[in-house]
Amino acid sequence: MKINRSAPPKQKGTIEFHLPKFNKFTLNNGIKVLFVQKKSLPIIQLNMIVNGGSKFDPINKGGLAHLTSMLIDEGAGDYDSLQLDNEFESIGSIFNIGTGNDSIGLTLLSLAENFERSLELLSLVNQSPSFTNNSFLREQKKLTSKILQNNDDPSYIATSNFDKIIFADTYYKNPTIGNISDVTSITNNDVIQFYKKHFTPNNTELVIVGSIELENLQLLLNKFFVTTANKIENKSIAVPLKQKSKFYFIHKDNAAQSEIRIGHISDKRNETDYFAKTIANSILGGQFSSRLNLNLREDKGFTYGINSGFTYHSDAGNFEIATSVNGKNTGEAIKEIKKEIAGIKTEITDSEIEFTKSYLIKRFPAMFETNSQIAHHLSSMLKHNLSENYFDTYIERITSCSKEEIEATAKEKIITDELIYLVVGDKNIVMPQLKEITDLDIAVLGVDGNEL
Amino acid sequence: MNDILDIKYEKHTLKNGLEVVLYQDKSLPIVSVNLWYKVGSANETNGKTGFAHLFEHMMFQGSENVPKEKHFKFIEEAGGNLNGSTSFDRTNYFETVPTNSLELALWLESDRMGFLLEALTQEKLDNQKDVVMNERRQRYDNQPYGLSWEIIFSNLFPKNHPYHWPTIGWMKDIEKFELNDVRNFFKTYYSPNNASLVIGGDIEYDSVLELVKKYFEEIPKGETIPEIVIPKTQLSENKKIIHEDSIQLSKIYLTWETTELYTDDDASLDVLSDVLTGSKNGRLFKSLVFEKQIAQDVSSFQYSANLTGMFIVVATAKPGVSLDELKNEIQTELNEVMTNGISEKEFNRSINTVKSSFIYSLQNLNSLVNQINNYNTNLGEPNSFVYDLGRFKKLKQSSIKDVANKYLKNNYVELHIVPKENKDED
Repeated sequence: MKINRSAPPKQKGTIEFHLPKFNKFTLNNGIKVLFVQKKSLPIIQLNMIVNGGSKFDPINKGGLAHLTSMLIDEGAGDYDSLQLDNEFESIGSIFNIGTGNDSIGLTLLSLAENFERSLELLSLVNQSPSFTNNSFLREQKKLTSKILQNNDDPSYIATSNFDKIIFADTYYKNPTIGNISDVTSITNNDVIQFYKKHFTPNNTELVIVGSIELENLQLLLNKFFVTTANKIENKSIAVPLKQKSKFYFIHKDNAAQSEIRIGHISDKRNETDYFAKTIANSILGGQFSSRLNLNLREDKGFTYGINSGFTYHSDAGNFEIATSVNGKNTGEAIKEIKKEIAGIKTEITDSEIEFTKSYLIKRFPAMFETNSQIAHHLSSMLKHNLSENYFDTYIERITSCSKEEIEATAKEKIITDELIYLVVGDKNIVMPQLKEITDLDIAVLGVDGNEL
Repeated sequence: MNDILDIKYEKHTLKNGLEVVLYQDKSLPIVSVNLWYKVGSANETNGKTGFAHLFEHMMFQGSENVPKEKHFKFIEEAGGNLNGSTSFDRTNYFETVPTNSLELALWLESDRMGFLLEALTQEKLDNQKDVVMNERRQRYDNQPYGLSWEIIFSNLFPKNHPYHWPTIGWMKDIEKFELNDVRNFFKTYYSPNNASLVIGGDIEYDSVLELVKKYFEEIPKGETIPEIVIPKTQLSENKKIIHEDSIQLSKIYLTWETTELYTDDDASLDVLSDVLTGSKNGRLFKSLVFEKQIAQDVSSFQYSANLTGMFIVVATAKPGVSLDELKNEIQTELNEVMTNGISEKEFNRSINTVKSSFIYSLQNLNSLVNQINNYNTNLGEPNSFVYDLGRFKKLKQSSIKDVANKYLKNNYVELHIVPKENKDED
């Protein structure tokens, strides 16, 4: 017998999900800790967040935070660089360091049985890095080569130069990895001073998720993290200036595609309009079934994919549409994007809102699957100063967003007159198209972002 | 540790040949549905490359009862996530949804397995051809070093070898995909008897099996799958290719043909790659990047597939360093392993790394279920985590020296990616 397939099956029953509960405590030396016990696997994830990202780079020393993070595990305590690495590897622990605009993150994934030893090694990295001159010279060269290499990647060129333009005159304009002339001028002493200033207990937070008892965890952390507190520097941003709409172009010889970025600066994350912004953006370009993707990919076939998003640093944010399109469709693609921006500011339908709320609410349990996902969400709670009941009220806040609120947010937070347009592509193919679609000035930049 | 890796499951084969594996894990209210079709780019032929990957696109374009654009929409609305991927040997499709939307996922997967052609149109094909050409431009042509893999494959394997072309296909083939060929490719390969379905997560065995039967059992069994013809592939001489790209730092790639997936040598070659480049203490990393500082980075891996495998070493030269110098240093380190083997410390470190990575890999349901499908499809036994790890545990320190000698003395492909000659910047 054939079954009836004509309509999608209905949902069966309701979902029961219990949000992981976290403990909050402070170590004897002042480090703040968030802890979620999760016993399904014998592993422990630890994220250490040090409030010392690239926004603290001194003027003309761009890349200092990043270089410091590259050097901090090049030898610590009695171990040289290779010995230290061998200690982590031989117990199967995975240790990584990453630098963002706001903070440096040290992450550790360890088997529960090796957690004590892993923690001891991490505490050495955190409290007694060696900072030898040899390591400095080696990693400094590695960083300048990395900068060279990034400048070959059209997508990186577009994203980094877009930030540079929209965050003009603020510390979020610089790429975390810096530029060659700045990095070349950094000394090992700069690194040591940067470390001393920022790697302090009251400038450090820990998020730990895994299979361990609270008391035991507290005992171990207090055993290994003993450095006492000193100063911290808080940085507050010079408010980024609003800019008038403008076109920028960067030439890339024989580029097979055009990288397009469109957007402007925006507010930092706050709890009042975050969900309305998320819903409005989701409909515009935040998911596969968004207006932008259905139009430019599924209808026109201009691109492999397009997305938009409000992104948030600690002290500022931005709105950005990003895609890569076939060179000959660059002008048409930008016209379609403008059409969709105008559209989202004109009308949002009930069914789009219902769809998006359903998407955001129902995927909530899956956001808390792995140890690192849970740690990530707790870390973002810290980064953006969200209230402690943030995740408890998450679903309720989405449900209660009204259509008026969402439409008003789209109108107010996506600002047509301030949109900055940046294209990285082949000038012979792209420039004539840009001149056709805009009367605005088109500034031509080099790969380094300087006006030609 | 073996307790956690020894997973419980149920396996059934429907009358139409579809293999069904069920795995229960109730820690979160989510379910992963994971479908492998045993068709990849190796099933294509010269002049018609890229079909398996094209299907990864066409399968999301709707089927008889699912309107275009609705596949994604239904899953997203249910709070799920979904995707697919294509390799030489297989294509997989997967979605993770809240428990109460499992039936939706089965409806979608079965509709496109049984009733895709009813909804296939020239318009949809033309649109996805454009999307795939853009994907190719974005991910390969416009990407620094983006063409390296297809250059390596097409030189390592002769023209009539199923691994000669890239999974995404050659641009000139993508441009001329025809509706009729697309239909035939689907009819040949996308049948229940050529697929393996794994459902894992918050499920009850009996009721899920009933649901699977409801949606999949009426799909008729397909024809016998054509055999893949594998020519003898011994590379008759070393090949050296120099390719110019818009880059500033040159890269060298050395590739030897080795052995296929899940053989003992495959495990030894994994350990070899870890000993060479798995950490700062990796011999190549230590020599090229740390001590001599002639390379920006170096990596190596055993890439194993169903028919054969390859061992690849890749290094990026620091500005001003020649690729021949890198090659010499790489050869010196490889010779050292071939002559004197590796130390006990190196061996134990690698085995420990592998052991813990097995535990870490159990965290994400989607990837866990995909691995179960990998085991079911390639080994015929879904519960193979213990067996797989056992391949490493039973190795001897001397196995690493042995595989190095067995494979890395053979002919190889050497690829240099170098900066384009500077043209006038006018």
